[in-house]
Amino acid sequence: MKALILVGGFGTRLRPLTLSVPKPLVDFANKPMILHQIEALKAIGVTEVVLAINYQPEVMLNFLKDFEAKLEIKITCSQETEPLGTAGPLALARDKLIDESGEPFFVLNSDVISEYPLKEMIEFHKSHGGEASIMVTKVDEPSKYGVVVTEESTGKVERFVEKPKLFVGNKINAGIYLLNPSVLDRIQLRPTSIEKEIFPKIAAEGKLYAMVLPGFWMDIGQPKDYITGLRLYLDSLRKKASPKLATGTHIIGNVLVDESAKIGEGCLIGPDVAIGPGCVVESGVRLSCCTVMRGVRIKKHACISSSIIGWHSTVGQWARVENMTILGEDVHVCDEIYSNGGVVLPHKEIKSSILKPEIVM
Amino acid sequence: MKALILVGGFGTRLRPLTLSVPKPLVDFGNKPMILHQIEALKAIGVTEVVLAINYQPEVMMNFLKDFEAKLGIKITCSQETEPLGTAGPLALARDKLIDDSGEPFFVLNSDVISEYPLKEMIEFHKSHGGEASIMVTKVDEPSKYGVVIMEESTGQVERFVEKPKIFVGNKINAGIYLLNPSVLDHIELRPTSIEKEVFPKIAAEKKLYAMVLSGFWMDIGQPKDYITGLRLYLDSLRKQSSPLLASGTNIIGNVLVDETAKIGEGCLIGPDVAIGPGCVVESGVRLSRCTVMRGVRIKKHACVSGSIIGWHSTVGQWARAENMTILGEDVHVGDEVYSNGGVVLPHKEIKSSILKPEIVM
Repeated sequence: MKALILVGGFGTRLRPLTLSVPKPLVDFANKPMILHQIEALKAIGVTEVVLAINYQPEVMLNFLKDFEAKLEIKITCSQETEPLGTAGPLALARDKLIDESGEPFFVLNSDVISEYPLKEMIEFHKSHGGEASIMVTKVDEPSKYGVVVTEESTGKVERFVEKPKLFVGNKINAGIYLLNPSVLDRIQLRPTSIEKEIFPKIAAEGKLYAMVLPGFWMDIGQPKDYITGLRLYLDSLRKKASPKLATGTHIIGNVLVDESAKIGEGCLIGPDVAIGPGCVVESGVRLSCCTVMRGVRIKKHACISSSIIGWHSTVGQWARVENMTILGEDVHVCDEIYSNGGVVLPHKEIKSSILKPEIVM
Repeated sequence: MKALILVGGFGTRLRPLTLSVPKPLVDFGNKPMILHQIEALKAIGVTEVVLAINYQPEVMMNFLKDFEAKLGIKITCSQETEPLGTAGPLALARDKLIDDSGEPFFVLNSDVISEYPLKEMIEFHKSHGGEASIMVTKVDEPSKYGVVIMEESTGQVERFVEKPKIFVGNKINAGIYLLNPSVLDHIELRPTSIEKEVFPKIAAEKKLYAMVLSGFWMDIGQPKDYITGLRLYLDSLRKQSSPLLASGTNIIGNVLVDETAKIGEGCLIGPDVAIGPGCVVESGVRLSRCTVMRGVRIKKHACVSGSIIGWHSTVGQWARAENMTILGEDVHVGDEVYSNGGVVLPHKEIKSSILKPEIVM
């Protein structure tokens, strides 16, 4: 079985992290974002994943070689020469997605982190016999998204409403599709939107069905949602009683600590913290609602909350970092510095406090 | 004869331009910054240039291959594994700088644009017979820099004063040196400052001499000084009656236009403008004191001043960009949008006006 992951553009919303690596390779809960999806696909028997990309293909290809070997799944790239939107890339990758088996193929949006109930989706797809299945998720503020209006009992999709002003429903497109090969006949090789051009046509023919995603869902393409997404993800690990979650007197709530990371005496870590490989958290440090990426050193007595600390950065002694501070790669916050929402580009030293949210370039 | 160009770090002050290329390859006066220096060195007979770098060596190496061939000069890299300061790189490149000829070698700072009176400097060096010569330049605000105190008649350097609070002199280190090989014996392979550790020792032995730079000098490592530097550079082209300067009824003052650029009807260009290869300036455009890099399109009736427009960007119809607006690579300013000092990272679209200076990421 095959799958396509829409990787797309420049990842500008996740800057400064995406100034160092392309977005799919930004770590989330201690592994590259895209690995969460590739592993979920492999787990249900997908043998080939096609990445639809248009930016930094060399970096992606290097990464892929590593993971192809480790995961034993075939990973290829389909490179757009012009941005093809959310449907065009499927047409571009046509030859890779269709084979004689006639099986349906998955399409995933690379920004999405969720439970990935892909096995259930295959069953759902078989049972309704339609041409395409999409996963939908319930949200509190549907007016910001594209709402999918469905017949409750069958899940048959009636229509899509972009950013509705009146309440028409609270289920939105979760960016996970299971499509019959015949869908590709509907998509031309040009910039095309799957939500605005393709799905409405299939829905009008009564052949598009939506399944409500159980469990968590988050589009982690921007820092605020990345941090919320981590909370949801760790919460789902807790529900499965995952052995990966850290335990100990210095741990509060859900915390992930890579086995190669070191944590000093007298620390208080959590809730909702991920500490990556090779990190050193010195003694007396307080961390909550934050991600600490590979190779970071947090010095003694520092206090970090609701922030993302990028690869190989350091946070100084007694430093206080909070309120959506995002440190890019190799950023060094000096001792006793305060950062209130500083967004710092890579290879910088912060020697004076950042009192209100701002970009430091 | 040989030369070393200190290329050094991350070029963070010239972001967002340096998010696309390493600083020495940022264009100035329609050619990569470092090419100005390499050409000046070749012109006086230097046969080998060593670039002391510590960032993005692959990008630099690719560039070098192109230019080695075109210029007929040998260009090599000396890569620092840790930042070695302003003197350490010389020790690292020792074997490349010394040969049996015993000739002195030049050291240039890659951020500096100037007249490069290198032939005169060789004569000066021979005439005083000291161990090292440095170029100094007069500035209005010496308190921001390292001031060089010297004996007026001979140029013999007495001492250096970093950022003096009271007036001690107005000549600062211009970042151009001519050194005897014996200077390398004074430098250890560790992070070292040439101004703070090496030169003061040579000055104490009365073997360091300073020559006052005639003509313009500018450290163009940050946008404000880049724009001032362009004015000085174009002014020096005018003094040499350079055929490179554009002429015509639509040109005011000193303007450089690449031969592959197109300028439409009814434009008014200048003073102090550089328009790069492949640019398209549509009709009715006003440009003053700005740099327009390779592949940029400026649409009809737009007005750009005091700004830098990065490679392959576009400025929309009737758009106004001024007051140190810096557009990174591939930035698209919508029609009728106003930017007052917007600093925009690469691959962005600006759809609404930027009313006060800010970074757009």
